[in-house]
Amino acid sequence: MHRRLSLACLALVPLAVGSAQVVPKIPIESYRLGNGLRVILSPDHSSQVVTVSVWYNAGSRNEVRGRTGFAHLFEHMMFQGSANVKKGDHFALVERAGGQTNASTAEDRTNYFEMLPSNRLNLGLWLEADRMRSLAVTDSNLANQREAVKEERRLLVDNQPYRGVLFEGIYAQQDSASCFPYAHSIIGSMADLNAAKAPDVQAFFDLYYAPNNATLVVAGDFEPAATRDLITQYFGPIPAGREPPAVTCQASFNSGQVRRPWPDPKATLPGTFVAYRIPAYDDADYPAVALLGTMLGQGESSRLNRTVVRQKQLAQAAFTFVNSQAPRRGPGVFLIGTIANQGVSAAALERAMADEIDDVATHGVSAAELDKAKNGYLATKIQQQQISLFLAEAIQEATMFLGDPNKVNTDPARYQAVTVEDIRRVAAKYLVPDNSLVLLVTPEGAK
Amino acid sequence: MKYLFLLGFAGVASAQQPTTAPEPLPLKPAAFPPFQEAVLPNGLRLVVVENHRLPVVSLSLSFPAGKLVDPPGKEGLAAMAAGLLTKGAGTRTGDQVAEAIERVGGSIGAGAGNDFLTISAGVLSKDAALAFDLTGDAAVRPRFDPTEISLLRTQTLSGLDLERSEPGSLAARVLDQMVFGEHPYAKHPTPGSVTSFVRSDLLAFQKSRLKPAGALLVVAGDITLAQARRHAIRAFKGWLGRPAPLPAVEPLPARTRTDIYLVHRPGSVQSNILAANLTYRPGDPRHYAAVVANRVLGDGADSRLFKILREQKSWTYGAYSSLDRHRAGGTFTASTEVRTEVTDSAVAEMMTQLRRIGTEPVAAAELAAAKSASTGSYPLSVQTAEQVAGAVTSVRLYGLAPDYLETYRLKIGAVTGAEVLAAAKALIRPEGMVVVVVGDGAQVLAGLKPIGPVTILDVDGKPLNESDLNPSAAPLPFAVDRLTAGRDSFTIRAQGNPLGWSVTTVEDTPDGKRLTEHTNIGGFVEQQTTVDIAASGAMLRVRQRGAVQGQPTSIELGYAEGRVKGNASTVAKEGLKSVVIDTTVAAGTIDDNAIQGLLPSLPWSATANWSFAVFSGGQNESKTTTLKVVGVETVVLPGGPVEAYKVDFSGGWQPATFWVSTAVPHRLLKIGVANTPVEVVRAK
Repeated sequence: MHRRLSLACLALVPLAVGSAQVVPKIPIESYRLGNGLRVILSPDHSSQVVTVSVWYNAGSRNEVRGRTGFAHLFEHMMFQGSANVKKGDHFALVERAGGQTNASTAEDRTNYFEMLPSNRLNLGLWLEADRMRSLAVTDSNLANQREAVKEERRLLVDNQPYRGVLFEGIYAQQDSASCFPYAHSIIGSMADLNAAKAPDVQAFFDLYYAPNNATLVVAGDFEPAATRDLITQYFGPIPAGREPPAVTCQASFNSGQVRRPWPDPKATLPGTFVAYRIPAYDDADYPAVALLGTMLGQGESSRLNRTVVRQKQLAQAAFTFVNSQAPRRGPGVFLIGTIANQGVSAAALERAMADEIDDVATHGVSAAELDKAKNGYLATKIQQQQISLFLAEAIQEATMFLGDPNKVNTDPARYQAVTVEDIRRVAAKYLVPDNSLVLLVTPEGAK
Repeated sequence: MKYLFLLGFAGVASAQQPTTAPEPLPLKPAAFPPFQEAVLPNGLRLVVVENHRLPVVSLSLSFPAGKLVDPPGKEGLAAMAAGLLTKGAGTRTGDQVAEAIERVGGSIGAGAGNDFLTISAGVLSKDAALAFDLTGDAAVRPRFDPTEISLLRTQTLSGLDLERSEPGSLAARVLDQMVFGEHPYAKHPTPGSVTSFVRSDLLAFQKSRLKPAGALLVVAGDITLAQARRHAIRAFKGWLGRPAPLPAVEPLPARTRTDIYLVHRPGSVQSNILAANLTYRPGDPRHYAAVVANRVLGDGADSRLFKILREQKSWTYGAYSSLDRHRAGGTFTASTEVRTEVTDSAVAEMMTQLRRIGTEPVAAAELAAAKSASTGSYPLSVQTAEQVAGAVTSVRLYGLAPDYLETYRLKIGAVTGAEVLAAAKALIRPEGMVVVVVGDGAQVLAGLKPIGPVTILDVDGKPLNESDLNPSAAPLPFAVDRLTAGRDSFTIRAQGNPLGWSVTTVEDTPDGKRLTEHTNIGGFVEQQTTVDIAASGAMLRVRQRGAVQGQPTSIELGYAEGRVKGNASTVAKEGLKSVVIDTTVAAGTIDDNAIQGLLPSLPWSATANWSFAVFSGGQNESKTTTLKVVGVETVVLPGGPVEAYKVDFSGGWQPATFWVSTAVPHRLLKIGVANTPVEVVRAK
């Protein structure tokens, strides 16, 4: 059993899981086009499905004051047509091919994908190239998508219990003056959405949606040589853009506890949400922090579920999210959430949560508990390889957040190397009151 | 970008981006992935889908034991039993099962739908034996430990409460009730049914329903038939028999007109809209044409509902339709969520599109696109062994044709426009549909009435009158001289546990009466409120001092000559919210802090129902609220049982229920705050 393989070693041999399981290595071919577009190919012929994934290095953290929610509004505009694709045809062409297409916006990136039967790879590449080259920015498209985004906000946030605290409350963790990029929500404010104009869209496109600010991943059933030719043909002529400005955030840790009541007009039971500031995805502490999140609140046998939900029966749900939207290159959020059982106050939940954290910070965790978290992490990594879309996204993540697509194969070693002492140390370092934002949800649900 | 010119090896493109979408490349022939079947000696059917690409194995074990077998009054039994199967079985407690499966990074769980109960597990293939053992224990040797029963019951009750706040859950529940009528599919667990299950009910359910004959075990992934069979024989050793026959059930109702059920959710910023009718049983030959019709209408972003309601009208984030399969009869459902103002327009447009698909032939291009989408998506639907297993499971459980999966694309490809029209006409019936709208009734009712007959319900499914949505205010008929000087004490409790106390007093003053209330809840809320009322009944002054979770709060108001002036500091999301108040109020407006104190001075009867204007300083807003007697109940107080009017208070910022003694002089006996377990109970 090789529990302590070095990174260099792991890059060469298939990953060993536990005692017997061998995970196939994910093939990676990486290169750049002349215009700066980064291309990563990962062929696998076990199904007849291929995924085209494009990540732009732009998200809510690139937004300016007065335009919160803009990156997400822009994401919608990417489906409104381009030089050779009529409004609405992006969805139509992909669906008629039997494929799936969508996009999402996080703090650090915006992703677009088409998962297609493998004979329609050319369609996915053509669609992505056409909108990267020639997005149709019009007032009427903008007005229409602004309304769709507002409905999305009403659907996902305003009309649901406990969503406001998750999608907006947690951003109070960073101070707007020192770290605006991570101090406002992705969904943005209605006022800012209303203020967005077509020239804003064009300027955002010109600055952030250039090939030199994007990464194209093709994963699944395709022939690399022919695919390279097609990519060169479709994407090669798109001109490079200027380099976008750097994003700055003076992240602060342990700068004092912030407490906020969070009246929730849709909630019927109290909830307590505590958000701790954590370091970036590539930080040496991050794997231990992520595994700590698993041990505390992910799964039936996690600590919070065992004690707060099952033994003490204080909460009907308890969970942790480590960067719930996507990883970040800046300070992140370790969120612990609990929703009360009937008759339990938010304050009682807060005390119970604090007890659990104190226990980890003081006594640490057992080796068996840590092994369980590591096994869960690896099993998830293996499971996600079954679907070409998830594999493509994992490659994108390694590229953006770790700086190298090959780290999709080697990064798991960082997690396997975490020790019980690392867990105790990061719990004591980051999960402390002075590093927290406490959001107490008071139910104001109408009958 | 520093790499810009260094890595020019990708070359200069000679060909340009084409101006039309490229043609499809030839498709490699794709047969449905092979699978093997066997029957174990005890009658358990076994299906194995081999796929050795990745070291993972999934299991699913299904029984014909869904909602359909819930006995009357025990709604939710199958679901609760399913929830407990993996919470302790064989030699392991609930914690030990979770520990065992999560230790290897696997998962196990069980659930019950309308027709079937299914236990599922997923593991890395080296842990296949464990997955079989845990699944075998769950099906054959569940423990139903009392602590687990009690825990799941508490969680289910909280879950039912949570559902009342979720518009999507509310809409789905009402839709099931109305579409399925008296059939078990319509039944939903209630606090009463969930509380009634005891261990013997759960055991009886498992003993009579979870039997190998009629059950189906599907294993997929990095495993062979021989291995799976060996594991299954070990894990299910000694398990024999067949389940009790399925109960006779009510037939599914036929519907000859379209009814709208409006679930009133005051303050809703969106309306959730569902429209549904029954379709056909599994195996109906019209299925393929129905799939194509549904694709044209509402399956995906290339469909009519999405393109019209979202892309053209900008009313919604999404609009869809679906066909669902149930043994006793399937359903067609169209759904969307729209902003409140366009609710009626969206319902009308949705119904127009449902009518159109059954009356107007689908254009050739639209038909081709829909068929191409339904057949083209096939490779995506069989990407993983688990997906293949799921497809095989459906075919076997619902008794579809043995070659259903192999011939599916061929049959979709052969569907004609005439078949689509005929299927849509027969199966999508806007003239006999249930339409459920969950939204703010006061805002949407008028627009819905022209579309069809509207029944209004509250979130608990109880009928409401139109007047309940828009009560008109009249002065509250209290009599100041019926307020007698004195002092009352109350205990504040949550589920029987004391949380705090409240003391109220009435004093005579030179110009009328003074009502005071002093409340303390567990150190989190400490508030003292004084309301001065003129002998005429007019509000004079309100003063409140206190703290909520350490934050100071205050209200200082004066009422005179149709205006209220003053200031209020209350705790809100942003922290302390301070407002200066200077606004008009209607004649007869009551301050919200006076309501409780005035209750004893009202002329109560079993039919009392008053709507009146209330001003809240904290909200700086007036609303029309209603006090309505909804029943007579016995309230048990420390001194013994007392008969009381149960009074619903609605339309304000926080709904509540009061219990007022039927005997004169009327006394306030108890207060319940909606959606919370908090009770304020008279102490003496």
